[in-house]
Amino acid sequence: MAKEVVIEVNNLTKYFPVTRGLFRQKKIADIKAVDGVSFAIHDGETLGLVGESGCGKTTLGKCMLQLYRATSGEVFFEGKDLCQLSDRELQPLRQRLQVIFQDPYDSLNPRFTARDIIGEPLIIHNIARGKEYRERVAELLNLVGLAPYMADRYPHEFSGGQRQRLGVARALALQPRFIMCDEPLSALDVSIQAQIVNLLADLQEKFGVAYLFISHDLSVVRHISDRVAVMYLGKIAEISNRDEIYKNPLHPYTQALLSAVPIPDPEVEMKRQIIVLQGEVPSPMSPPSGCVFHPRCYRAFADCSNVTPLLEDVGDGHHVACLLYEQSRP
Amino acid sequence: MTALLEVRNLKTYFNTQDGVVKAVDGVSYDVNRGETIALVGESGCGKTVSALSILRLVAEPAGKIESGEILFEGTDLLKLSGDEMRKMRGAKISIIFQEPLTSLNPVLTIGRQISEGLEFHKNMSLKEGMQEATRLLKLVGIPHPERRIYDYPHQFSGGMRQRAMIAIAIACQPQLIIADEPTTVVDVTIQAQLLELIRNITKELNTALILITHNLGIVARYARRVFVMYAGNIIEHGNALDVYRYPCHPYTAGLLTSVPRLDEPRKTRLLPIDGQPPDLIAPPIGCSFQARCAYSMPQCQREKPPLLEVAPNHYAACWVSQKEQRPWQKKSS
Repeated sequence: MAKEVVIEVNNLTKYFPVTRGLFRQKKIADIKAVDGVSFAIHDGETLGLVGESGCGKTTLGKCMLQLYRATSGEVFFEGKDLCQLSDRELQPLRQRLQVIFQDPYDSLNPRFTARDIIGEPLIIHNIARGKEYRERVAELLNLVGLAPYMADRYPHEFSGGQRQRLGVARALALQPRFIMCDEPLSALDVSIQAQIVNLLADLQEKFGVAYLFISHDLSVVRHISDRVAVMYLGKIAEISNRDEIYKNPLHPYTQALLSAVPIPDPEVEMKRQIIVLQGEVPSPMSPPSGCVFHPRCYRAFADCSNVTPLLEDVGDGHHVACLLYEQSRP
Repeated sequence: MTALLEVRNLKTYFNTQDGVVKAVDGVSYDVNRGETIALVGESGCGKTVSALSILRLVAEPAGKIESGEILFEGTDLLKLSGDEMRKMRGAKISIIFQEPLTSLNPVLTIGRQISEGLEFHKNMSLKEGMQEATRLLKLVGIPHPERRIYDYPHQFSGGMRQRAMIAIAIACQPQLIIADEPTTVVDVTIQAQLLELIRNITKELNTALILITHNLGIVARYARRVFVMYAGNIIEHGNALDVYRYPCHPYTAGLLTSVPRLDEPRKTRLLPIDGQPPDLIAPPIGCSFQARCAYSMPQCQREKPPLLEVAPNHYAACWVSQKEQRPWQKKSS
C-alpha cells in the first residue's frame, strides 16, 4: 500500500543568531537548533519524534508549520514548498496543517469560552456561521468526548485532560491532513494520558490524519507511532519503522535512551542492565566536532571526533547516523 | 526492630475559600532504617503533602496538620517546638525538592548553601563548611568542585542543580531523605544518572529514602516497598513485587494497564481509567475510587473501605478485594 506523502522535509536547517551588544547588535554565533533534517510523513501515518529537551524537536515542528521560518531547506506540502510562500499564500493551506500544543493551560485563551476556542478557526476561514457554526462546535465537542453543553464554559472550568481535549477539537475543526502534536501528554497524569492517546488514535483512524508526535516518552511513542525518529542536538540520529527501532536500536544514543526508561515491573528491573550516559547535552552554540554525540558515547572511537557521520540506510528503511555502521564512505 | 519513621493516621487539611481540602486524610506508613520506600500516585493525591508534613513544612495558616502522629526514632515530631524541629531538618531528615531552580536560593553561592546546614548543625566554620562542600560536590559528580562552589544556581544546568540539591541533602548524613519527584523536570538520560546517584549514596550511608513519584517504572526500579495513594488516602501497599504482580486495588491495576510498556508486545489500545479523581473538598461518602471503578458494588457507595491485609504483608482498601475477588488480576496478567 503506497500511501501518498503528506509532508516532506528536505535538508531543513534553523539557526538562531546569538547577538551581543545593546544598540549595535553584533552576531557572535549561531544556535544550530535544527541542522540538516530530512524525512517524509505519509497519509494517515504517525511519525514519533523523540529526543531530550533542547535537541530541536519543537523547533523542527514549528518550522514545518512555518511558525518559524527555516534558515534553509524545503518543506513540501500539497506540491508546494511552504518555505517559499508568503504569509498570505500560506493562510489557506493552514486549514490542513494544525497543531496541538504541550500545555493545555497556556495554549487556551482564558477569556474565550470553549465554543470560541474551537470555533475560531471556522470563523477565520469563513467556513461556518450562525446555526451551522454552533452545530459544528457541538459535533466537535462530541468527537473528543466532551458534552455539547460544555461549550459555554471557560478553560479554567475544565480539568487538564478535558483542556487537552479542547486543544484536540480545535486542531480538528478544519479537518486537517497533518497535525503536529507537541508533547501533548506531558502536562497530564498517567491515567489521563491513556485517554488522550486513545482519542488521538481513534481520530486518526476516522479521518486519516497524519501526526508528527513529538515526545520524550519512549513508551508512549512506541505505542502511537508507525515510524520513529530520534533526534540529538539538531540532527536525526536514527529513523526507522517502529518495531525495527525498538527491537534493534543501532545508534548508541537510541540504545541508551531505551535503556534509561524504567519498566513498571520490579522483576524485570532487577535483572536489567542499564546504560547510564555520562555528562549532559552540550550547548548547540558550539556543538562537538565530528559526531555530535561522541563526547557522551560509550562506543566512540578515534574517528568519531573528526568525521561527521551521514544518515545512511542500513537496510529496510532503517537509517542511522553513526560511524559504527558506515560502509560506503569513500 | 522498630521502624525509623512511623506515620500514624496523619491528617493534613487546607483551608480555602471554597472549603476545607482534605489533602491527606488519615495516612499511615512506616520506614525502616536504610530502606527505600515509594509513595506513588497522581497529582493532587496527597503524596507530597504527606511527606512535607513529616518535616512540618506545610504552610500555615492555610494548611494545618489536623491530627496524627509522626514518630521519628520514637519522638513525635508534631509535638516538638519550632527550635527543636529546626535541629531535625537537614540533620536527621532532609529533602530533595522537585524543582531545584525554585528551591535553591538564587542569591547565595552553591557552596554557601551546602555549608549552611553544616555550620548550623555541625558547628563548622564557614571555611570548614566550604571545604566540606567541595568534597560533597565531588561526591555527587560535579566536575571542578573547587571552582563550582563559588557559582550561583543559575550557572548550573538542571541536572547539576539537582546534584547540588542532593549534596545539600546528604551534607549532615541524615537518617532519612525524602525525595519529592526528584527527576520530573529533567530528561531521561539525566534521570537515570540522578537516580543511580541517589541509590548509591543512600546505600553507602545506609540512609532511608522516601521516593515520591508518579512514575511506576521508577518505583519498580528503586523501591522495595510501595504505597499507592489516591485522593488523600493510601489505598494499597505491600512489597513492590506483590503489588505489581498481584495488584489488590482496581486503581493500582488500572494505573499499571494504562501505561504502555517497552518490554511487552505493543497493544493496539491502552486501557485508561475513565473519569477523574474526586473533589477533595467534598469527597464521596463511600470509596473515593468508586465512581471510576469498573467493579464497584452497592457497598462501595455507602461505606469507605478500611485498609486491611488481603494477603501476607499486602494491604488494600477495597471491598471487592477484601471479599477475595480480584477480577482485574486476570485481566492484567
